[in-house]
Amino acid sequence: MTLTALKPASLKEAREAVLDTTGRISIAGAGTAADWGGRLGPVDAVLDTTGLSGVITHNPGDMTVSVHAGTPLRALQEQLAEHGQHLSFDAARVAAGATVGGLVATADAGPSALVHGTLRDLVIGTTTLLSDGAVVRSGGHVIKNVAGFDLSKLLHGSYGTLGVLVEVVLRLHPVPKAIGTVVVECGLADAARLAGEVLASQLEPTAVEWLSSGRLLVRLDSTEEALPARLDRLTRLLGDGASVASGSSEASGQSGAGADVWAEHAALTRGDGGAAVVRIGVKPSLLPGVLEALPASTVSAGLGTGVATVSVPGRAVAEAHAAVHAAGGTSVLRCRPADLGAPAWGPPPSALAVLKAVKQRFDPDGRFGPGRFDPWEIS
Amino acid sequence: MTLDPVARAAIVAALGPDDVVDDPVQTRAYECDGLTGYRVRPEIVLIPRDAEGVARAVKACHRNGVPFVARGAGTGLSGGALPVADGVVISLARLKRVLEVDPVNRRAVVEPGVTNLEITAAVAAHGLYYAPDPSSQQVCTIGGNVAENSGGAHCLKYGFTTNHVYSMEVVLPDGELVTLGGDSAEQQGPDLRGVFLGSEGTLGITTKITVRLLRTPETVRTLLADFPSVAEAGEVVSDIVAAGIVPAAVEMMDTLAIEAAEEAVHAGYTVGVPAALVVELDGPIEQCDTEFAQVKAICDAHGCTRLHIAGSPEERAAIWRGRKAAFAAVGRISPDYFVQDGVVPRTRLAEVLGRIADMGDEAGLRVANVFHAGDGNLHPLVLYSAAAGETERAEELSGAIAELCVELGGSLSGEHGIGTDKACSMPKMYGEEDLAVMKRVRDAFDPEGICNPGKVLPTPRLCGERPGKYRPHPLEESGVIERL
Ligand SMILES: Cc1cc2nc3c(=O)[nH]c(=O)nc-3n(C[C@H](O)[C@H](O)[C@H](O)COP(=O)(O)OP(=O)(O)OC[C@H]3O[C@@H](n4cnc5c(N)ncnc54)[C@H](O)[C@@H]3O)c2cc1C
Repeated sequence: MTLTALKPASLKEAREAVLDTTGRISIAGAGTAADWGGRLGPVDAVLDTTGLSGVITHNPGDMTVSVHAGTPLRALQEQLAEHGQHLSFDAARVAAGATVGGLVATADAGPSALVHGTLRDLVIGTTTLLSDGAVVRSGGHVIKNVAGFDLSKLLHGSYGTLGVLVEVVLRLHPVPKAIGTVVVECGLADAARLAGEVLASQLEPTAVEWLSSGRLLVRLDSTEEALPARLDRLTRLLGDGASVASGSSEASGQSGAGADVWAEHAALTRGDGGAAVVRIGVKPSLLPGVLEALPASTVSAGLGTGVATVSVPGRAVAEAHAAVHAAGGTSVLRCRPADLGAPAWGPPPSALAVLKAVKQRFDPDGRFGPGRFDPWEIS
Repeated sequence: MTLDPVARAAIVAALGPDDVVDDPVQTRAYECDGLTGYRVRPEIVLIPRDAEGVARAVKACHRNGVPFVARGAGTGLSGGALPVADGVVISLARLKRVLEVDPVNRRAVVEPGVTNLEITAAVAAHGLYYAPDPSSQQVCTIGGNVAENSGGAHCLKYGFTTNHVYSMEVVLPDGELVTLGGDSAEQQGPDLRGVFLGSEGTLGITTKITVRLLRTPETVRTLLADFPSVAEAGEVVSDIVAAGIVPAAVEMMDTLAIEAAEEAVHAGYTVGVPAALVVELDGPIEQCDTEFAQVKAICDAHGCTRLHIAGSPEERAAIWRGRKAAFAAVGRISPDYFVQDGVVPRTRLAEVLGRIADMGDEAGLRVANVFHAGDGNLHPLVLYSAAAGETERAEELSGAIAELCVELGGSLSGEHGIGTDKACSMPKMYGEEDLAVMKRVRDAFDPEGICNPGKVLPTPRLCGERPGKYRPHPLEESGVIERL
């Protein structure tokens, strides 16, 4: 059976493509998370969103931007940088060309989620196409808005099962004038203790992450005048082993002093080639214990957010789900070795019936993203 | 139509007589929220003692097909907690426990009847606080805040309720108890937590909330600055933003609002100036100092006529007392008033204020403005006298202002919600299809339509006619967005 390739260049074309096709459809962005979540079931067509690209409106004075959902975030950031603005979002796969819509649909996030939240906190409006051709707009172009149900939230983490994100409106922030990172070479236990001290202080770190290469990274976003003094206080708090990171090679895809250590962070988050990559979230205080017990080859761990990404052998995936669940957390399989049969998700949430009811109302024929939430059987 | 006696007995039995109020005199106390123009006396008020009690109450309503409305402190300004005739009100007033304070993970678990300010009071000893700060924070409940996705002056930098809630325990409209959200921001599928937040009590009743706490900032700097015009003050806001500064708060008041606030609380504002700005910065000392100096320079560059910097916590509190009192204080300069809550993109502030002034002149009514200038959230106060027969005109003007905000690319409501008050204006902001899909969400949670019916989404019964044919969104007409 051949797959129909759909590559609309406008909302109108997207709607026609969905209505003119029968059967099941996989929604695809740049493909940077193609096998995240449950294994995709049989589909008849692939709807590629990368033809829906570019900025629709950017009013720098309002610090909001609306974009077509297939826009690579990296390209958007470059455009925004000319105005000294950016989306405060730094997921590892942005550098690989991930689209705005894909990042929303997979609920991805990076280290600065500690302060700026995830995309559910930064998306202020969406236009979404449903499988029956309905086009729905929610939210708007203002950062403060409580009119109507916030449908954007449902699309966040929907993994292509509820609708096609067509347009996304984002809240922006000023690019920090100066960024600094303090590094401490240490193991997880020491890192967790130090992170606790930093988070209890008033130094306001933007990110606090531990890497399995044996490093704790603490980032400060600042004004230029204030950065040296703030870094100095942070370094003193972190003790003898602490130093300010300086490396910033072009290739890192990040800018500013200390970019290299963040490039390493992104690489570890993308994971270990052949292994299974599992994303987990628990209460921060429980994270070290959960991580210590896993046979992980790579780890990047948000010690303030409780969110970590680990590479484990395929056979350990089920065990990882169980351990995270036992700690009250959530887990999802990202990359998987081709022959891995392990489930993508841990036990279902208590509101599974609501998830099923939402899916039923949004996509009654189950056309979008079959299998993505297996083993929960809602898609 | 009255409540079927069998249903009534079943609902009363679900909790027992001690937790039931059905004396018509006493149930009157529940007939409205802060939007006092709308009143409906509920048939029964249930006051459960715990989450299980709420679940039993909801189950009994569900089994008997009786509509119910959750109620927190009743300070809502859009008629969200307005009872349904022949229906039940479920008050969360007895679910008032702070269940857990976890300073290590910077979070607290509270019941919905805990007030916004009580959360901060319970965690302050650990150097933590709960950031969203509605002006009503001394009385409004966290359950109401979750339902309304409430905001406050400091939401410009720190975000709204939705940005500060990890998870909620919720009694669904069929009485099932579930948890939405999780222990971290990492999600298991679509963000049901996020769609529940701000759903105005139409998707279920929260019985337990895990809120995110922030470390108190090292320092706070606050200034009050007077300007020769609203436009100049508006430019100061734009310049602060353009300088890459994210203030903790930027609030603006106009002459009338200042006059009212001064009369009420004598907070040291200058009576008679056209506009005053409250700007607050917080954070690590070095950063705060450099940015505060920049803000002062920007104020001076725009003809600031008086710059008062709070020199002590008391002086800072006084500045905020003036700002937060402005609402209620308007009662001192006018017998009656309506509060609006529309939002415009910040860059259109001057334009919208000019047009509001013109509209007020045309209607022969005064409009006082006190608002969150940083995020474009207006609170025009339409002053009128019911005794002089101005009510209808004031109501019209008030509605027209909200709709003007939509026309300028904004929203009907920034924080007070749609509720009963603005449900019929929703078609101004959203197309028929948008509203139909929102209805699908409502149906997914509440297929029987018994959970706070008649709120948020327009219904033919509520709004008279059926919503008309599809009309283009104002942003489409102006070419900002395209539909098809
Ligand atoms: C003087 C004044 C100033 C105000 N200032 C602000 C402000 O600065 N910012 C702001 O955002 N708002 C403000 N408000 C509005 C109001 O205080 C908020 O909307 C607040 O969140 C309402 O809380 P409440 O406990 O009074 O809820 P209520 O008015 O009792 O209910 C509000 C809505 O929430 C629902 N609800 C209540 N509890 C629950 C629950 N446990 N589960 C599910 N649904 C529930 C109700 O059904 C209703 O729809 C102000 C109001 C006043 C009177």
